[in-house]
Amino acid sequence: MKTVRLVCAAAIAAAFVPAAFANAPAGSAAPAFTLTDLAGKAVKLADFKGKTVVLEWHNFGCPFVQKHYRSGNMQALQKKYGGEVVWLAVNSTNAGHQDYMKPEALTKTLTDFGAAPAKYLMDEPGAVGLAYGAKTTPHMYVIDGTGKVVYNGAIDDNRSANPADVKGAKNYVAVALEDMKAGKPVSTPSTTPYGCTIKYK
Amino acid sequence: MKTTKYAVLGGMGGGAGEELSTPRGPLRGGFPEFYGMSPTRLLPRLAAAAAFLAFAAQAAPVRTERVEAELHAEKAAAVAGKPATVGLRLKHDEHWHTYWKNPGDSGLPTKIKWTLPEGWTAGAFQWPHPERLPFGPLVNYGYSGETMLLAELTPPANAKPGPVTITGDADWLVCSDVCIPEKASLRLEFAVAEGDPAPRSGETARFAKARASVPARTEGWKAESTMAGGLLTVRFVPPEGAVAPGKAFFFPDRESFIEPAAPQSLTRDGGGFRLAVKLAQPELKDIGTVAGVIVTEGAWPDLPGRKAVEIAAPLVASFPAPAAALPVPDAPAPAGSGGSLAAALAFAFLGGILLNLMPCVFPVLGIKVMGFVKHAHGDSRALWMQGVVFSAGVLVSFLVLAGLLLALRAGGAQLGWGFQLQSPAFVTLLAALFFLMALNLFGVFEWGGFAQSMTSNVSAQGRYADAFLAGVLATLVATPCTAPFMGAAVGFTLAQPAAISLAVFAMLGVGMALPVLALSLFPGALKRLPRPGPWMETFKQVMAFPLFATVVWLAWVLGAQAGNDAVMMLLAGLLLLALAAWIYGRWAHSESLLRFVFAGAIAAAGLWLAWPHGALAPGTAQASVPRAGEVPWQAWSPEKLAELRAAGTPVFVDFTAAWCVTCQVNKRVALNREEVVKAFADRGVVPLKADWTNHDPRITAALAELGRNALPVYAFYAPGAAQPKLLPEVLTASIVVDELSRLPAPKQAAVPATPKN
Repeated sequence: MKTVRLVCAAAIAAAFVPAAFANAPAGSAAPAFTLTDLAGKAVKLADFKGKTVVLEWHNFGCPFVQKHYRSGNMQALQKKYGGEVVWLAVNSTNAGHQDYMKPEALTKTLTDFGAAPAKYLMDEPGAVGLAYGAKTTPHMYVIDGTGKVVYNGAIDDNRSANPADVKGAKNYVAVALEDMKAGKPVSTPSTTPYGCTIKYK
Repeated sequence: MKTTKYAVLGGMGGGAGEELSTPRGPLRGGFPEFYGMSPTRLLPRLAAAAAFLAFAAQAAPVRTERVEAELHAEKAAAVAGKPATVGLRLKHDEHWHTYWKNPGDSGLPTKIKWTLPEGWTAGAFQWPHPERLPFGPLVNYGYSGETMLLAELTPPANAKPGPVTITGDADWLVCSDVCIPEKASLRLEFAVAEGDPAPRSGETARFAKARASVPARTEGWKAESTMAGGLLTVRFVPPEGAVAPGKAFFFPDRESFIEPAAPQSLTRDGGGFRLAVKLAQPELKDIGTVAGVIVTEGAWPDLPGRKAVEIAAPLVASFPAPAAALPVPDAPAPAGSGGSLAAALAFAFLGGILLNLMPCVFPVLGIKVMGFVKHAHGDSRALWMQGVVFSAGVLVSFLVLAGLLLALRAGGAQLGWGFQLQSPAFVTLLAALFFLMALNLFGVFEWGGFAQSMTSNVSAQGRYADAFLAGVLATLVATPCTAPFMGAAVGFTLAQPAAISLAVFAMLGVGMALPVLALSLFPGALKRLPRPGPWMETFKQVMAFPLFATVVWLAWVLGAQAGNDAVMMLLAGLLLLALAAWIYGRWAHSESLLRFVFAGAIAAAGLWLAWPHGALAPGTAQASVPRAGEVPWQAWSPEKLAELRAAGTPVFVDFTAAWCVTCQVNKRVALNREEVVKAFADRGVVPLKADWTNHDPRITAALAELGRNALPVYAFYAPGAAQPKLLPEVLTASIVVDELSRLPAPKQAAVPATPKN
């Protein structure tokens, strides 16, 4: 009888916990997730245990994302590090927003741009974006093989939407990945992301 | 909507300049709208160029896609060696905004690159104070409408009198729900004069207004700050006699420092104030002084016309204990709703007593009172002990619930009182629990759970446990029934420090427990009831019906939250629970383990079936077609409200939820009445419905702005009024009609209040 009461109480308490805007600062454990890729296949963060994972919050409708794709910057990073890290692009745009693109349209546009993320993940309800505290497109996270967030922030230090500004900017993600390759702690673990507001529900 | 998208993306190609000439060929297929300049972009630019030539004598506004930008000079000329103030005026299209120096969760500050004559120097922008710009769960800091960023330009001491040309290459990010980087090259034909240049009509007022919006730098103010437990607290002491600001917000200069979307709580501390806000990164170590701007709702008494004050608060380890930590009312509290602690406590007490009469609490209490009847004729000590334990159950669960709410809010969640009913899972569990309790009352099965206290002679200890649980249960189901008086009290209290909030909630619990406690202390009243006998079995069975009625209500709430299918699954799940209960009861005397196995497995299957799978998106539940004789509600959104108010349209907002019983009662008795519907139509008032049935942070934020955190709330925005008028929680048709009839009758035919959807 007591157990029944306890189970009841625990279940009721569990129901109290709402979806809230959380955060995944550098140094914290990366929130686990399961999302579907453009082919509709489930992809788990846990699938990549032991590997370095890069998360890139993405929305082609955003001029700041366009900056890094029209300049070829993001594709170059994806290709350069694609062999050693798992590059996951995540799209948290809500389906009612004008920027929302269906998986088929995204597949085509990604091909046209020559983009090479390992997976492109649909986070249409925005739950994963909210769990990570992702604020802008792009917003970058680097997760090490033990599942710890080692970088959280902007793609680079030139906060503009002009593709010409990619040249000469310090790319924080590249720096983080090089630091990790060299076996050093990431020198700049967190910066303020810049870009368009993520179009959450 | 789609056509705007292309124009917006086209803006990327045009607005950001032609230098974006990166590879085009292979990409064209995927994103044709990126490329080329659409006619919608080209024409304004040509027009702007033409305008430029025509007005070259002064400055001319440059029109970009979403902004009109212009350089202004306060005076006709500068004086050698002395700073002259100029301004970059940005006029945003409706719903579009640009950003403050700290843009908040996203965005970019506006920048300008000056091209000045030899020897001139330019100062940095003097930023007007920002406004909060919520977007989904995020909040940005910036400007909408028209704003002017001031800067000082200083000619060298040896500047020769005569005309000069100033060029400012400004770029900014302008956003609504999409963002466009824009830029403009702005020219100002200026001069150096010998004597003191005359002020220019028109510009003097414009600059005075702009200066008033720049945060004041003050001498007499003291400020300090401390960081602990993930919170930044800024303590500031204005000079003597400062009047409590109704509401204050702290905007830090530094980015990624606080959570822009988190609520900020303002408390009075001796002669000063404390503002507490959630930190974005608790581990920041490189800060010595917290700099930023505090913006209040009204002007500060010693700073006429100024809403914003610049502060630099040195970081200290901790503050001295406050002389008297008095709460600051989270204005605008309506008259009589109690802005002081004593009034809040009193209203909470009254509200707690009234909770006992609410339809969701009554069945639980009925059962409890019946339990008392059983014991009333026996041991009076045992009786009052039961009353005390029940009261403790109520009190403890009020405190736990309030503590949980405060903790979650401190964690940044936008939640309000009654929040647990925003969870379909909780609603489902509650329905299952009530359903089982009702079956138990019918005698389908005997089960030493919540309902046993009134039926069997279990040990004293077991009786106390049940009395306590009855108190817990009563509280859980009571919270959605915000009684009258409680709305203001709960809104007030959540903005206070934890101790005060908890005191108010405890008072609510005391009020709610009081009638039952009184009955247990004075069993004389109970003795007038018949002695225990067969009538009790009848009473017990009768009490099952209000419980079933509550289940019906919860099923309806679930339907509004998660749709028709969820209700179907719930009912199917309840059917399985009934089967499980019947098996459990039918073979109650069986020693066989099979009884538990079957009952348990079927009950588990029932719960699994009923378990809801996610709520509907906010807003989807409210798109209903109005019927004749009903108020033609349109869906509320902050943008929609702003749009209507900007157009001078009177607006009536109903903050409601399916689980808010008072709301439903008001809807029937006060709102869906012929005279009210007619008054809305006659006066051209647009009725908006903000449905909080599911968790919606925008509505939580809007309620917080009104100083509320519980439903119902009725806000009436008269045209031109700065603040909405809040109508009473217990609404009557005549209150609404009276309020609307204060509006002047419209000149032409009433604006039709028909919904768009």
